[in-house]
Amino acid sequence: MQVKLEKRHTIDASVETAWKVLRDVKVVAECMPGASITEQTGDDQYKGVVSVRVGPVQTSFGGTIDVTSIDEAAHTLALSAKGKDKSGSSSATMQLTASVSAAEGGGCELVGNSEIRVMGKMANFGARMINGVADQLIGQFLDTFSTTVLAAGEGAAAANAASKLTEQPKELNALALAWALVADFFRRLFGSTKET
Amino acid sequence: MATPAEEVQDPIGGVGCSRKRKEDARFIQGRGNYTDDLKLPGTVFGAFVRSPIAHGRVVSVNKERALAHPGVLAVLTADDLEPLKLHWMPTLAGDTQMVLADGKVCFQHQEVAFVIAQDRYVAADAIELVDVEYEELPVIIDGRRSMDADAPVIREDLQGKDSGAHGARVHHNHIFRWDVGDADATDKAFDAAPVTVSEDITYQRVHPCPLETCGCVSDFDKIRGELTVYLTSQAPHVVRTVVSMLSGIPESKVHVIAPDIGGGFGNKVGVYPGYVCAIVGSIVLGRPVKWIESRVENLAATAFARDYHMHGELAADDEGHIQALRVNVIADHGAFDACADPSKYPAGLFSIVTGSYDIPTAFARVDGVYSNKAPGGVAYRCSFRVTEASYLIERMMDVLAQKLGIDPAELRARNLIKVEQFPYSSCLGWEYDSGDYHTALNQALEAVDYKGLRKEQAEKRANGELMGIGVAFFTEIVGAGPTKNCDILGIGMVDSCEIRVHPTGSAIARLGTKSQGQGHETTYAQIIATELGIPSDDIQIEEGDTATAPYGLGTYGSRSTPVGGAAAARAARKVKDKARKIAAAMMEVSPADLEWDTDRFVVKGLPDQSRTIKDIAMAAYQHLPEGLEQGLEAVDYYDPPNFTYPFGAYICVVDIDRFTGEVGIRRFYALDDCGTRINPMIIDGQIHGGLTEALAIALGQELVFDEDGNILTASFMDYFLPTAVETPHWETDFTVTPSPHHPIGAKGVGESPNVGGVSAISNAVIDAFADKGVTHLQMPHTAYAVWKTIHGLGLDKE
Repeated sequence: MQVKLEKRHTIDASVETAWKVLRDVKVVAECMPGASITEQTGDDQYKGVVSVRVGPVQTSFGGTIDVTSIDEAAHTLALSAKGKDKSGSSSATMQLTASVSAAEGGGCELVGNSEIRVMGKMANFGARMINGVADQLIGQFLDTFSTTVLAAGEGAAAANAASKLTEQPKELNALALAWALVADFFRRLFGSTKET
Repeated sequence: MATPAEEVQDPIGGVGCSRKRKEDARFIQGRGNYTDDLKLPGTVFGAFVRSPIAHGRVVSVNKERALAHPGVLAVLTADDLEPLKLHWMPTLAGDTQMVLADGKVCFQHQEVAFVIAQDRYVAADAIELVDVEYEELPVIIDGRRSMDADAPVIREDLQGKDSGAHGARVHHNHIFRWDVGDADATDKAFDAAPVTVSEDITYQRVHPCPLETCGCVSDFDKIRGELTVYLTSQAPHVVRTVVSMLSGIPESKVHVIAPDIGGGFGNKVGVYPGYVCAIVGSIVLGRPVKWIESRVENLAATAFARDYHMHGELAADDEGHIQALRVNVIADHGAFDACADPSKYPAGLFSIVTGSYDIPTAFARVDGVYSNKAPGGVAYRCSFRVTEASYLIERMMDVLAQKLGIDPAELRARNLIKVEQFPYSSCLGWEYDSGDYHTALNQALEAVDYKGLRKEQAEKRANGELMGIGVAFFTEIVGAGPTKNCDILGIGMVDSCEIRVHPTGSAIARLGTKSQGQGHETTYAQIIATELGIPSDDIQIEEGDTATAPYGLGTYGSRSTPVGGAAAARAARKVKDKARKIAAAMMEVSPADLEWDTDRFVVKGLPDQSRTIKDIAMAAYQHLPEGLEQGLEAVDYYDPPNFTYPFGAYICVVDIDRFTGEVGIRRFYALDDCGTRINPMIIDGQIHGGLTEALAIALGQELVFDEDGNILTASFMDYFLPTAVETPHWETDFTVTPSPHHPIGAKGVGESPNVGGVSAISNAVIDAFADKGVTHLQMPHTAYAVWKTIHGLGLDKE
């Protein structure tokens, strides 16, 4: 099961500030809901976990992140992540290229291209939802990322963003995610006809 | 339309009576006894660790954490089975199959390790504690890509072997090539023919999906050295033989019991790793081991059906008289060739592909290939590869009709084998036993007012509405089979019946077949009742216990009535021969002076001089004159001289919503000719069930995989199983053309509706678009797929 996503997000911050945050894999990883880096195993290698909660069931995906390239001049970073759930029945890999550039109307624009591949039970049962789930996840990630970038700046906006960050959920709540998907589905159904 | 009132009413409830099914009383009251109902003292439970990937090396299997878990008794891997030579097992198709992953996995959900625990919940928890490390390999999902030059090697165990169980292999993912017919003559006919048509027709991978999944309970008695296995098997005797061959336990000490079975449809013919692991587990632990598949496991890992990529070509003259047929097939068998076919027929009876038509020349080639999908290739409610063959020719008939502008029913009528041509020798080597095809087709066309339907369709088309009429005329080949050409693992495909008449005149009959819902307890009793005059209520039918039933090859491919039913009639006749001698002795006349009347022997010319079968039964256990042995019983093993060839004419009318693509079956008329009709009510039930499964295949069922080999249809969220909601009213009708070689003229019926039904429904859907130039659409015709066609043609504009 493969999903390719391209996302663009404008942040009201300078390219340099955003790039500084993007370069810190540990911080970037923690912008992913429920994800955290547990260990740095090399210059550009990390180990991490993502916790998922569906109702009373909690599971976690453990895996590795390799930063495969950093282009300081182009403000572009590529990483490859792979992991599997603790029962060994599902696994996922992600190739991500992210870059920051100056936005036309001021601030900066983050462009993320990701290729996500899901194997095992998660693909068996989640196939129909995977596009939507990935889309939601990346959306949540970008929100948190831009808040983090803003918090790295200065002034009242930064303080505001910093306090917002502390309210982030510590694990990926799949039920909330499912609700977001349903809401999204209806928005598309009634909000616009051009999708069909 | 109900079954017309030709029904037989007789005091003994014999052949022709619409008797209620004996077995239903227990099934509808929850008193069936299925494998999972069995609760032997001390039973422990097994569950599989399965591969999350479709192709890869198994780098390591670490079972320490699982073994440390409370309640876990054992974890088996290929390394544990290897000393017993059970890490691989032979398949019914002459290939071998891994029982547990031996160094690599070749399909997703393949069995990797078997955890045995004190209950099924502990087993389910513990499978998550077995740590398996995989190294992924490239995957082949589309069988048409299997023989690409750069295709990855799926079966490394076969590398360098340039021949397999069925001859030469031309590629490392090639299983067999099977050619039938005269290739040169066919090519010449095509070169000379005024009209030719061709089409690529895929019969998608589907799953038989019985309501009860597969499972077993294995119980090894260490003191007696006896192994008893209760399992969901359509062929328990074959399983006993295989188990004995694999385990080295003498067949006399292996006892296989198939209790009630909740549907098989071919899914329960083969031997699965679960059976082998449960057996090994019970031998190792000395305790009964139960293994019951989940629905996901059933859909993802046990035997699928079809997956035939077919290229069909017809050559004809300008009037539509067919001159030749050419077919090339890529048969995707999955990672191991575990197809259930008679051993000499790697593509089953696919050479019935000339169908019901008098085709002078034909050639068919089937190439079997490996792919990274589950093994199988079973006959899902049909005889071996017969629905694939029938679908191909019935689709091609429509394609030809369209090309020539001839009505599809008319084109069929021009080519059907004529009644005077029977017994008919087909150009691909079969001898059709009997048929009256034109009568059946005409009866069907009249019943539905075919001309009226075509007129209505023309009007609707003028209004932009989508209406389709599907015509299908099928001929099945069932009742495998004559031992001169049919065997499984060297055992001829006979079947058997043993009848014992008790002193008080009731009887028990045991057979080598095994009902999975077909109603054998009712129909076999009716056959014996008619032959012996014992009321069918007083005849007990027993199947499935290898310790008591005579050896038989089981129930699949509509073989129970053609083979088992024949054995029942012949065993009853042997009993009757002896009864005649006893009656003659009782009345002190010569056996030749007696004649049979319903339930008694009467002295010719002296109607008041008679002995009923009940009188004779008692006498059989008393003093008898010299030369007569006590007892009244017989066994018969029946080796059919030929297959039987049921046929039928089906017509389906669909209305398609041009905005949603939804296909509504407005009318479905099924005329079946299964020869002598044993129980009309059961025949109707079988046809209703088969048509519902045909609807499932034509309109929704498909095992779908993504490019990495993840199965995307592993549960009922995604795999279509029709319910009463989707099922239309089925109209049934019949003609009767008895089989000349079967003892009571019966041909078998359980699978005909699936064979004819899929073609009729699919033809109807495609016919709705025939005037728009559409010649073929791949199944399943889901609302989305049909909508895409509509949308592509711009038919959904207001």
